[in-house]
Amino acid sequence: MTEDTGTPTPGLEVGPTSEFSLFFRVLDGQGPSLRAALLELQGTPGYRPGDYGMAIKTIHEARFVLFDDDTRLAFITSFDGPWDAYMEDFFTSGPTLALFDVIFGHVEGYDGLPDLAAVRAFVLGAEQTAAAYARNYPGTVKEIRKAQRVNAAFQQVLDHPQAAEALGHPAMQPLLDEAAD
Amino acid sequence: MTRVDGTPDVALELEDIQAGALYERPSPYVGTYLLLRIVDRTDGRELVRRLHRIANPAGGADSAGATSLTVAFTYRGLEALGVPQESLDTFAPEFRQGMAARAEILGDTGESAPDRWEEPLGTDAVHVAIAVLSSDEEQLAAVAEKARAAQTELPGIELIWKQDCYQLATGRTSFGFKDGIGQPAVEGSGRPATDARERPLRAGEIILGYPDETGELPPMPSPDVLGRNGTYIVFRKLHTRVAAYRSYLRARAATRAEEDLLGAKMVGRWQSGAPLAVSPDADDPELGGDPRRNNDFGFGDDPRGFKCPVGAHARRANPRDALDDEGSVDVRLHRMIRRGTSYGPMLPDGVTEDDGVDRGIVFVFAGAHLRRQFEFVKTQWLNDGIFIGAPLESDPLVGPHHEPGSFTIPQRPIRRKLQDLPPFVTTRGGEYCFAPSLSALRWLAELDT
Repeated sequence: MTEDTGTPTPGLEVGPTSEFSLFFRVLDGQGPSLRAALLELQGTPGYRPGDYGMAIKTIHEARFVLFDDDTRLAFITSFDGPWDAYMEDFFTSGPTLALFDVIFGHVEGYDGLPDLAAVRAFVLGAEQTAAAYARNYPGTVKEIRKAQRVNAAFQQVLDHPQAAEALGHPAMQPLLDEAAD
Repeated sequence: MTRVDGTPDVALELEDIQAGALYERPSPYVGTYLLLRIVDRTDGRELVRRLHRIANPAGGADSAGATSLTVAFTYRGLEALGVPQESLDTFAPEFRQGMAARAEILGDTGESAPDRWEEPLGTDAVHVAIAVLSSDEEQLAAVAEKARAAQTELPGIELIWKQDCYQLATGRTSFGFKDGIGQPAVEGSGRPATDARERPLRAGEIILGYPDETGELPPMPSPDVLGRNGTYIVFRKLHTRVAAYRSYLRARAATRAEEDLLGAKMVGRWQSGAPLAVSPDADDPELGGDPRRNNDFGFGDDPRGFKCPVGAHARRANPRDALDDEGSVDVRLHRMIRRGTSYGPMLPDGVTEDDGVDRGIVFVFAGAHLRRQFEFVKTQWLNDGIFIGAPLESDPLVGPHHEPGSFTIPQRPIRRKLQDLPPFVTTRGGEYCFAPSLSALRWLAELDT
């Protein structure tokens, strides 16, 4: 809790992106069923390796980690914007809550839907702000996706037989500088 | 009556809710804002007793917008009236801190910082805020006189600030745009929606004591009689740098028509109020003036912003359906009632030299959630661009632009980028207030602490 506002801290930020980590205790004997639920999540469209289509469009990546002999669960992600500002949104918009509901049902302290205030308190109670957080590239998910589209288009241009000629204009110099490899 | 999702419609206690907490302002309008300081507690309670008699309930015959007087208190004001500490502690933390303490978060720094604010805005002296708005000058004078009378012969009450406002002859803001469009409808308020695509908000988004969009009751101050049927009010006096705005556009446009287009791209509407989403290529005054059509649109068909830029003011302030696929944003949690009014004379048409005259907007918000409504929209959508994938851009019109900003106008074949945007709006001050119900006003007047 921050002193001035009495509101939860959103985690450390690097540029526009903030880290968000939750740590839970797995209900007694629920390790195997939780592992199965996570496997099922992993098979959901959008979450399968290579899908790159998670329900929340503003997270860079996310992982669930079972540890201490499957007695504990961590959820770790990076989010564009301050997490705490969007807390209510997560729980009222889209498929997010239903998806987490399946996972949270296996950990301590979760009383289930539909009491959103309780869910919010439960999630914030599990949040631990990182002691260190670094990123290796700047930019939001939206910017990264745009950059990828632009690069794909650029590669297409380079594959054109007259690419060198087309990039000959002085205005194209910055692109030409990137065209050699 | 039941809602689509099967829960019953809420019956708002309109006789107990202040009209100004729920309804948009009349148009045209004239008005006065008064700030008072309570020096003596007994006089303070007598003032509240008198104001209670002249405050207008939303259910009153007059609520259609003729004339209304709205009363609100700052945290310091409630303290001055002797509201018990255990009750004060139940108000929203942002309200308890006050707007000046939130300045860094809100982007009110530099020229907009509280130490540059107009006296006495942002100080502990601001206790009571009164807004009188009318569609008619004579009625305004009559009600304003009642408000003044409520304060006379009470030596323990000081009038410390007064701001008149009136709709400019053009019917538009000092920047030249028709405003006040795009209000959400509220369940139980008796006012129909102007945007057929937006279901009326659940009452608890605006008025305390009713379920909000999360299905729960908003955190409400106690005791119930004090919190229920009340709402939080934000007022901000915003100086508009109209000459700077006009000369910025003029320097970047070859023709008057191009100036109008650039201005419309920044705002998201043409000067007439016609939305770019409906009329992207030219102004359509008939559309702008038609309340059945000027708010009936979405952005979902224009994800890249070719019609209305994703960074345009109106699209930032209310993205409508533009973020529906994000999975992390529920736009309905960030709506509000706005009752903005203009102050100061119009800068004559065509003038691009600053005349040194103070003019601008008194922005007024009403809503049940200071943090996730007013502060969220201000910090995440207006002051920042992370949500549209442009972290370095802020609102072209009202963004703080502490560093010269930029604004991207998507267009084929090549987007246009406006550079070196200076601040066009400076905060002159403001405060977070609480507009209690009529029964709470009575309760406050009868406090015997």
